[in-house]
Amino acid sequence: MIDVHELSKTYRVPVKEPGLAGSLRSLLRRQTRDVQAVAQVSFRIEQGERVGFLGPNGAGKTTTLKMLAGLLHPSSGRVEVLGLRPQDRPTELLRQITLVMGQKQQLLWDLPPTETFELNRAMFDLDRAEWRRTLDELIEMLSLQALLDKPVRNLSLGERMKCELCAALLHRPRVLFLDEPTIGLDVEMQAQVRRFIAQVNEAMGATVILTSHYMQDIAALTPRLLIIDQGRLRYDGPRDALAQRIAPERRISVRGSHPALVERGFREEQGRMVADVPTGGANRVLAEVLGLLPEAELGVEEIPLDEVMARYFRARP
Amino acid sequence: MSLLRALPPLLRAFPTLLRVGFAEMVAYRAEMVVWILTATLPLVMLALWSAAAEGGPLAGFGQAEFARYFTVTLVVRQVTGAWVVWELNHLVRTGALSPQLLRPVNPLLFNLAETLAAIPVRLLVLAPILLALFAWRPDIAFLPSPATALMGALSVLLAFALSWLVQAIFGMLSFWLEQSVGLFGLWFAAWGLFGGYIIPLPLLPEGLRAVAEWLPFQASLGAPVEILLGIEPQPLRSLLVQAGWVLLATLLARWMWARGIVRYGAVGA
Repeated sequence: MIDVHELSKTYRVPVKEPGLAGSLRSLLRRQTRDVQAVAQVSFRIEQGERVGFLGPNGAGKTTTLKMLAGLLHPSSGRVEVLGLRPQDRPTELLRQITLVMGQKQQLLWDLPPTETFELNRAMFDLDRAEWRRTLDELIEMLSLQALLDKPVRNLSLGERMKCELCAALLHRPRVLFLDEPTIGLDVEMQAQVRRFIAQVNEAMGATVILTSHYMQDIAALTPRLLIIDQGRLRYDGPRDALAQRIAPERRISVRGSHPALVERGFREEQGRMVADVPTGGANRVLAEVLGLLPEAELGVEEIPLDEVMARYFRARP
Repeated sequence: MSLLRALPPLLRAFPTLLRVGFAEMVAYRAEMVVWILTATLPLVMLALWSAAAEGGPLAGFGQAEFARYFTVTLVVRQVTGAWVVWELNHLVRTGALSPQLLRPVNPLLFNLAETLAAIPVRLLVLAPILLALFAWRPDIAFLPSPATALMGALSVLLAFALSWLVQAIFGMLSFWLEQSVGLFGLWFAAWGLFGGYIIPLPLLPEGLRAVAEWLPFQASLGAPVEILLGIEPQPLRSLLVQAGWVLLATLLARWMWARGIVRYGAVGA
């Protein structure tokens, strides 16, 4: 399905000293330095999987995604998507993949979204009846009906993203590359987009590869994680296993403020007292708390993914 | 023969590309009108040269000839107009090229369709100007013979292709340089001088003219104007020169695209 072997990308970036003198010097002799954005990354992804790329800013996740989608040519290594080389952008491949970028859009700005949908039908050479069926399905799933004849420039960011998703899926791609698809959206819209992506994965059997800064995206969508840091693949495996390894505790929370709990290791957080305890010791702590405060409202949860990741990156070598 | 295989779907897509391109033009109509009007320099030249010819014809150009020459220049300039150099520069620098690269139609061909779609709008804006010109000087009107009209039409087509390709070539320099639009400015200046835009080529000094006839500037504007007016003594040679430049520019454009796209950084996308 997707096969990546020793994939590397090096950018050559110009080095310019500040100030006018620096500009003149760089005009005469252009200094460059090489920046390794992705270094010898290898992995495989199977049909129908949902995979999240995680990593700090500049870690190389978007560069990797762009190489998978064929926008960037690798400096070395091999990448195959559906058995084809994405950087050659063969039509056969373009008709089976899609890339949605939270910060770049394909919608025609001054025309209603239907014009972009129509344009994509023509460009992807889709059968009109089939296109119509997919479009109706997507309009329904994304509740686009009311937006169809407003010029794109008059739509809100969230409405535009929904139309972007629709335009990107009209050709029923087998592989979805999503680069920060929920960036800038409000919480409700983020949740809608997440639900939609999950639905597409199930209904169309599409493979989903996602980068996001929002851990909720990853937590909700991708059981498998690829962690990329400083261009290297640091982790490839189930999300839950990573959480188990990095943060094997359970978080116990008690509603309200209870100073008595502080000496038992609890801290105050957003109107509740919380303590992270080893999984095996949770029952004992719960019993203790109930002994002290028989009326307390208790909760037990896993450590949130953003905290897991923060710990992971703090602990890295 | 990937191009041959790509052709049938492309031809099927073309009517939609044209229609959407036209809708875009209409959405941008205010900008479009201003923009078309900026390309009306031939009207200024018409006034200047008519005044210069008051005392008598210059190199065979009397007032009526100048009026006809610059009216045809105005029309040819409008139907061969392109903006792909600015478009590509923008797409490459901002990374907006990325979504276009993921569609099975080459972004350059997409722009070509948009450019063709703009022609009817351009002619529409031009119509009142032409009517006013005819009202002012009825002797502007002329009727080319069928053979001249045919060669003229072919020449306009080649001039369109060449103008668009040259702009695309300068636009593709954006893959390597930040100042591709500035470089195109140099081309544009030379084109104004040697393309018959400001001075009809027959008015240039003999030596200069002999060279200018072979240059791509004349091939992308002056050639069709002179052929249509029937003042080009060797229209077939002129067409061949145009075809040669179109071929060369096509090869160069393809070569640059293949190399440029490898360098494309997909910035910020």
